[in-house]
Amino acid sequence: MSAKDLRQKSREALANENLGCALGRFSDSYVVSREEIYRGMDFQALREEVAGIKSGAALHMEELAARFQAAAEKRGAKVFRAATAQVAREYIARLAKERGVELIVKSKSMASEEMHLNDYLQEQGLNVAETDLGEWIIQLSCQKPSHMVMPAIHLSKEEVAAIFSKEMGREVEPDIPDMVKLARQELRKKFLAAGMGISGGNIAVAETGTVVMVTNEGNGRLTTSLPPLHVIIVGLEKLVPRFTDVAPILEVLPRSATAQHITSYVTMITGPVPAEGLDGREYPKKELHIVLLDNGRTRMAADPVFREALQCVRCAACLNVCPVYQLVGGLFGDVYTGGIGAVLTAFFTNPEKAGEIQNLCLRCERCRDFCSGNIDLPGLIGELRRRTVQKEGMSAGQRLIFEKVLADRRLFHSLLRLAAKAQKPFARGGRIRHLPLFFAGLTEGRVLPAIADRPFRDLADSLPGPQSAGAAADERAEAASGVRTAGMSVGGRVAAAPGGRAAGVPAAGGRAGAATGGQASGAAADERAGVASVSALRPAAPRQKVGFFSGCLIDFVYPQTGVAVQKVLTALGMEMVTPAAQSCCGYPAQQVGLPDVAAKLARQNIAAFEAAGVDKIVTACPTCAEALKSLYPQLLAGEKEWSARAQAMADKVQDFSSFVHEHRDELPLNPQEQTFTYHDSCHLKRRLGVTAQPRELLAAAGGTIVEMSPADICCGFGGSYSIKFPEISQAVLGRKLQAVTGTGASVVAVDCPGCRLQIAGGLAHRGSPVEVRHTAEILAERLKK
Amino acid sequence: MYESFVTKARALGTEVYRVDDPAAAKQLIEKLIREAGAKKVALVPAPLLDALDMEKVVSAARAELLTAGSVRKRADEADLGITTFDLAIAETGTLVQDATALDRRLVSMLPPVHLAVMPLDGLTATFRQAIANLAAGEIPGYLAFVSGPSRTADIERVLTIGVHGPGRLIVVFIDEQEGRGSR
Repeated sequence: MSAKDLRQKSREALANENLGCALGRFSDSYVVSREEIYRGMDFQALREEVAGIKSGAALHMEELAARFQAAAEKRGAKVFRAATAQVAREYIARLAKERGVELIVKSKSMASEEMHLNDYLQEQGLNVAETDLGEWIIQLSCQKPSHMVMPAIHLSKEEVAAIFSKEMGREVEPDIPDMVKLARQELRKKFLAAGMGISGGNIAVAETGTVVMVTNEGNGRLTTSLPPLHVIIVGLEKLVPRFTDVAPILEVLPRSATAQHITSYVTMITGPVPAEGLDGREYPKKELHIVLLDNGRTRMAADPVFREALQCVRCAACLNVCPVYQLVGGLFGDVYTGGIGAVLTAFFTNPEKAGEIQNLCLRCERCRDFCSGNIDLPGLIGELRRRTVQKEGMSAGQRLIFEKVLADRRLFHSLLRLAAKAQKPFARGGRIRHLPLFFAGLTEGRVLPAIADRPFRDLADSLPGPQSAGAAADERAEAASGVRTAGMSVGGRVAAAPGGRAAGVPAAGGRAGAATGGQASGAAADERAGVASVSALRPAAPRQKVGFFSGCLIDFVYPQTGVAVQKVLTALGMEMVTPAAQSCCGYPAQQVGLPDVAAKLARQNIAAFEAAGVDKIVTACPTCAEALKSLYPQLLAGEKEWSARAQAMADKVQDFSSFVHEHRDELPLNPQEQTFTYHDSCHLKRRLGVTAQPRELLAAAGGTIVEMSPADICCGFGGSYSIKFPEISQAVLGRKLQAVTGTGASVVAVDCPGCRLQIAGGLAHRGSPVEVRHTAEILAERLKK
Repeated sequence: MYESFVTKARALGTEVYRVDDPAAAKQLIEKLIREAGAKKVALVPAPLLDALDMEKVVSAARAELLTAGSVRKRADEADLGITTFDLAIAETGTLVQDATALDRRLVSMLPPVHLAVMPLDGLTATFRQAIANLAAGEIPGYLAFVSGPSRTADIERVLTIGVHGPGRLIVVFIDEQEGRGSR
């Protein structure tokens, strides 16, 4: 599927209101009931235990498979090791034909879906009936399951009634209990007439040869009890060493899957058991075949990064909480859906398609908090993206932007300045409502803020005293060294150091003069930024020298946030410097799968802040914070000189709210009563674990917080995602805006300029008077004069 | 522990009863069969049931005890099935049965109503404990954990009881039994 097809299909899925509605409703109630069911349990400890068992099993997959085979065969089962889906299909079809089976009943098995077993058996002239109600509905309507646990969640009762009516050849009313009863009657006949039962397995125990299966309807028990011939299909990733390993897995699986303490039925099968033939003949032992399916699992286990995905217990929690899955359902995936689906697709079913569907991930990282197997799913999707780009490449245009423009700070910033002028025909009152041609997607359902006339770096530069000295000197040093790429860093650091150090020295007269000029020409921008005068911003005897990493959005779109940060830090007695040689944090490049470009930017930024000689580094953008704090040490880990420098920088980095929160007792606030709602940005909450700090600061400033339900669902921005999939981005935003307006608050406080751009754009597009403001701006306004 | 089982099991839709001795059990089971309106009853012989003289109990409830024909047929025809369970888990409201024998599997699954008879001393506190106890011995061929009636939420996520298995699950705990330990 091409990117264009994927976007078209996403439009279609979004147009299916029933799907989005059913999944959205489910997700909201799921989060609440899941929390309830885990009450009193330590989910983190539990999932670490599960992860320990499963990761150990992944490392010893082959050994466990051999032990399982020996134990199961000792109990009388026949174990068949299937390397591929094709081999497994052929084995099962041959078995059915040899035994003269006319009808096969099946209980739900994702492994059988993965091998497209039903289609194959039917091609071979065999009759197969799915017996799980949802799967049966899907089979009757010739569809594909949209969810691992609830395959027919996308269908309404009316649609199900229509499917049943067609099958029965008579009118079936859309009454759920009646339809369930009808399914019971119809499928009971099939159970009693079937010559073969096929089931899946949730856990396979190596020491005992036991296969564990969880179901609610009881179809699994009938499939494994009535027919005299039973085939179990189980993937190698379901192996665990000991019988006692079953307990922790079953403690998380039903809780995370359907918010149940336990499913109605848990069945543990160890070897063949007695059965009765269709002719009434009694068999003391039925025929039991266990197909151990590899189909990419050994390859996954051998991959040092993707091995982690084998910790999955298939609870589907990552689907249930995914804002994209909620909107487009099964489109986000192949046989396996959602975030884990993208990863499993790459190894099990369709590697090419996986490269496409991973693009649908918003990178909000919400799934990581809910994963029963403690998998860093966002990390795995990032790796999938990186490998896809490495293998298939990126469009020349896109690569050019990242490698030639983004990686070259001066060119990038010049273009942004140029854009500030070029946008003039489209900008009204600091906002852009419509863009022509292929840029139109940017303003679909969202009003864009205009690029500021004067970026924050210019405002910072116009400040008198040490501030300007630091910034200007840095820029001069960078220019003088004549290097703009990775090679500049050493020279840049050395050359810029004196300027940076000079920042601590009181300003010389000549500089003050230049700064005054700058201020005059920038008066309009200052007004827009809400700064009457910035000359009072420098403390006489600073306690700490804090470097401000502005990030592109604050620098070029929301300079007023930078000014606010400076006011707050100054009020705390800090000296703030904004090294001019800093550039984009590199996160967008990493996100599109260009780690080399991200590393280049990392080196530039490290050098810029080393030159400034700061005690701390504060940023008011959580994505930048994540890049500086986590990504840089990771990107540069293999580089002898840089890895220590990256770590030294990372140790100094803190997000604005956390930093101010640590000094909150010293913040001279003049509280003003106001009602806010607070939006948790994905990176701040999930990567940096910050949720209480901004709320407490707002409360200290006199704010009352009315929480959204939920406050932490993604706004749908996702960086370039909103350009790639504007429709999905807009639909995710729609849910967020609903939550915002539901609170009745007139101001949304955020800590992230990206979220602000998205939410404010959506509100403006809808003509809402609700304002979006950065926590720093709200605090700055309430500082004592 | 019993109280905790009752809370959990009832939340799942299981009907829970407790009697002091076999005499009270007979009376209660007769009443339950009658109230369920069952005309045909299938059961799986076990020492615990032998002591209750079930043939008499069933006929006193004006129902027929199915004994002839294949187990598939009997279980499919019965309005109510009776089997014994070995273990119960308080933490989850679960009943556990060694269902290796075919009649146990079918009689507990095919009829629309299932009546489980369970000695009180088989009650275990947690799921983990139950798994650990089972791991200590040889794992039976077919272990059945049953927690409430058969259920589905596959259509519009509306909870609906009684899909393929019983729509009603009734459990009768007996405090004291004759022939204890030989069930």
